[in-house]
Amino acid sequence: MSAREEVYTRHGGKGGDRGKRLAEMMKVEGKPEALDDILVLDVSSANFGGIVAASFFAEFGAEVVKIEPPDGDPARQITPFGVTVQGVGIPFMFEGRNKRYITLDVRNNEEDRVTFSRLAQKAAVVIESFAPGEMDGWGIGYRQLCLQNPGLIYIALSPYGQYTEKAKKSAKMPDTDITSQTGSGLPAQMGAPPNEPEPLNWPLRGGMWVGWYISGLSAALGGMVALLHRQNTGQGQMVDVAGMDAYSSMVGMPATIGFTWEKSRPRIGVLDFILYPYGHWKCKDGFVAIAAPRDHDFRALLKILGLWEQEDDWRYSSDRIPDILEQAIHLHRIIEEKTILFTGDELVKMALNYSKKSARSKWRGGGVPIIMKLMTPEAAMENRQWQIRNAFQEVEDEKLGKYTISANFVKMSESPPRVKWVSSEIGKDNEYIRKKYLNV
Amino acid sequence: MEDYFSYTAKLFNPDEAGQKPEALKGIRVLDFSHVIFGPIAARLLADYGAEVIKLELPYYGDLWRPATYWGKYWKHSNPIWHNITKNKYFISVNLALKESKELIYKMAETADVVIENFAPGTADAWSIGYEKISKINPKIIFLSCSTYGQFGPMRYFPGWDLLAQAASGVLTLNGYPETDIYYKLPDYVGDFFPGNVGAMSVLMALYHRKKTGRGQYIDMAQTEGLMRMLFHYTYYSVTKQTIGRTGNTDPSMMPASIFKTADDKFLALACATAGQFKNFVEAIGRPELISDPRFADTLERLKPENANALTAIAVDWVRSKSCEEIVSLADEQGFPAAEVADDYRIANDEWRRNRGSVVLFKDDVYGNLVIAGPSAQLSGTPSRTRWLARPLGYHNRIVLKKFLGLSEDEILALEKKKVIGTFDDRPGLKPPVYYNLSEDPIYNYGKEVK
Repeated sequence: MSAREEVYTRHGGKGGDRGKRLAEMMKVEGKPEALDDILVLDVSSANFGGIVAASFFAEFGAEVVKIEPPDGDPARQITPFGVTVQGVGIPFMFEGRNKRYITLDVRNNEEDRVTFSRLAQKAAVVIESFAPGEMDGWGIGYRQLCLQNPGLIYIALSPYGQYTEKAKKSAKMPDTDITSQTGSGLPAQMGAPPNEPEPLNWPLRGGMWVGWYISGLSAALGGMVALLHRQNTGQGQMVDVAGMDAYSSMVGMPATIGFTWEKSRPRIGVLDFILYPYGHWKCKDGFVAIAAPRDHDFRALLKILGLWEQEDDWRYSSDRIPDILEQAIHLHRIIEEKTILFTGDELVKMALNYSKKSARSKWRGGGVPIIMKLMTPEAAMENRQWQIRNAFQEVEDEKLGKYTISANFVKMSESPPRVKWVSSEIGKDNEYIRKKYLNV
Repeated sequence: MEDYFSYTAKLFNPDEAGQKPEALKGIRVLDFSHVIFGPIAARLLADYGAEVIKLELPYYGDLWRPATYWGKYWKHSNPIWHNITKNKYFISVNLALKESKELIYKMAETADVVIENFAPGTADAWSIGYEKISKINPKIIFLSCSTYGQFGPMRYFPGWDLLAQAASGVLTLNGYPETDIYYKLPDYVGDFFPGNVGAMSVLMALYHRKKTGRGQYIDMAQTEGLMRMLFHYTYYSVTKQTIGRTGNTDPSMMPASIFKTADDKFLALACATAGQFKNFVEAIGRPELISDPRFADTLERLKPENANALTAIAVDWVRSKSCEEIVSLADEQGFPAAEVADDYRIANDEWRRNRGSVVLFKDDVYGNLVIAGPSAQLSGTPSRTRWLARPLGYHNRIVLKKFLGLSEDEILALEKKKVIGTFDDRPGLKPPVYYNLSEDPIYNYGKEVK
């Protein structure tokens, strides 16, 4: 049975067309694309925030042109351990979705700037990440481009933004993921508590590009709001993304807690400030993540782990918030003594069996303890759930060969995002773009 | 020509932001969602002018209302809840009753967007899913949020941000190699990031609807949202090796780590390009490193043995300088460096206040609260805060009277039948103790108040 048939038959329900609708959603080919009427120019440099924003537009159907100097965007060489395929780094390959590549050296070449501004007259969106004011100084900033094209949406990415005294003072500083993470408050919340040995108790970086991806997503989201306004009124505008705000602006906690507590939170290691149990534990053959934070979830977890004698301990039955760290760590160890006795699969099954019965029984109080094996990215790729949902896609680049990316990150019935092709070759579409937009 | 920064200061002037147009004005959103993942998507739409009506159960309310950091409340409210649900209309209806569903169906007639994050299938089972709503209003854009998606063998698995982090591989990438501790991304990023993706998808659907007149159904799985930010899958498919945990070092640029300064502060310093590396070695007075065969070429520099040697040089240099010295050198020379900012600093940094990415907001009910503004500032249609979160059922009257045209008598009858209700006497749900609701013109909308 194909994945599509499986979804159709298993999700059919009684009489409704839910199963049919969901099976239909897996199909992407032939459906319209939301942004098929716009041109996006990505002239960002060494900045994956810009590249990611451009990818989002491209996945939703925009014609996205990556503009780089003849020796390529330095972002091509930002890659783990220096691994490349024919000189193209892994992250650049990963983001090379549905894009056109042309070469223009806007930094050094006067003529190329003229070509760029001619292209910008046809564009709905420009994305750039030069030092604030640099494009303006070259005569191709928002101030100049919007005269010819008042509908233009101009997205600029930088560490401190395009206005304020601070932005002016730090205008020369480039944006990277790790400085965006530290500057916007993520590492301050990650890492072991203060009494642990160094460097475990240091602030810890998120092990993926959280800073850059948040910046890229915020840029695309802000850009979409601007595109809707443009669709209604014809008016463009400038969108200013600051990397040093990425994390704190997205989650909002640092600003509000810093104000109401008048101090900063400490680092509390693997614990959570609000929920308990909410973390991962060792088991016989690896690790499991456990979330059973509500009282009825917690009681259910005690039952399935054979820890019911803890139930009437006031420290855990009604006060599990880890504001008294020793208490929470103590409970953490009690749970670990049990989880270590089972394999990951056994624990997952125990929790699922309990939850299934619990959902139907009024005596079990609806407790839903959740246990899930900790997956590496590589293990996640093997998971049937994501295979059925086409969460991973094998793509092929003419020059770089076959590789796998995560794609189809949201399913939409009418205008879903999709990856039609990948490519990374410098200047590949020089002729195509000049012909199409400049009549050359 | 006018100085660039004086031009942009006028373009973005935060004092004028409140008078600028709102891009999503006239868009009506029904928000059935709870906790963070769904509510944040709805709030983002509200920030840009959409009219978001949040539905909760009477006396019980959203599960997240009382869920506050270390159990500390602020004026009987959950301070972080204000950030998650500001700018919304709070109405409280009992979904178990037929009359409540009729109210919802009536609201759906004029709504543009519905957002929910119940377990997959639940909304349809309760007759408030896409199947029902799209029959009432075929142009509706319906966003269903879940941890694993609406279809597939794991669809019924319950989830939280933690489980999405565990299922996507995110959780196993944080921490130090060869330890048995993994750290989850803090502050529920696993809800916020996919929530932002969900909001972006709704905007795409609105854009599409304007062109074609067609609504659509959106299935947003938070795990897949997180997967979008991992190029680790591609790394594995190309090299058959894993990146794994690399502690405080970003292996994709060099140097790039969190270091300790002479004055025992922590800062990140990075060089993503050859140009930045040149600026860095000049700043540290080691220009010879630029021609060192181990470091001269960007890709060569990233090889583990060379990367370790270079990181050691950076560690020593940072340890010999104060944080302030390094950051001002970075400003002057043009390489990336930033101190680890904590909550207090973020709440109080002057530049964030001037920029509007941290805002001291004066609210009619709660008074002054510092909340986060967006990292993406729009010059034409900026995001803004109109009001903070409200007690449960606070907007019952204004929504039912103004948007549905009910009379006071009809509302009293609904209250009597317990179709609609308000808050229980619990922090997170009730108003601050000093606040007199009986004199509040919005809570008592359409009634005589003193």
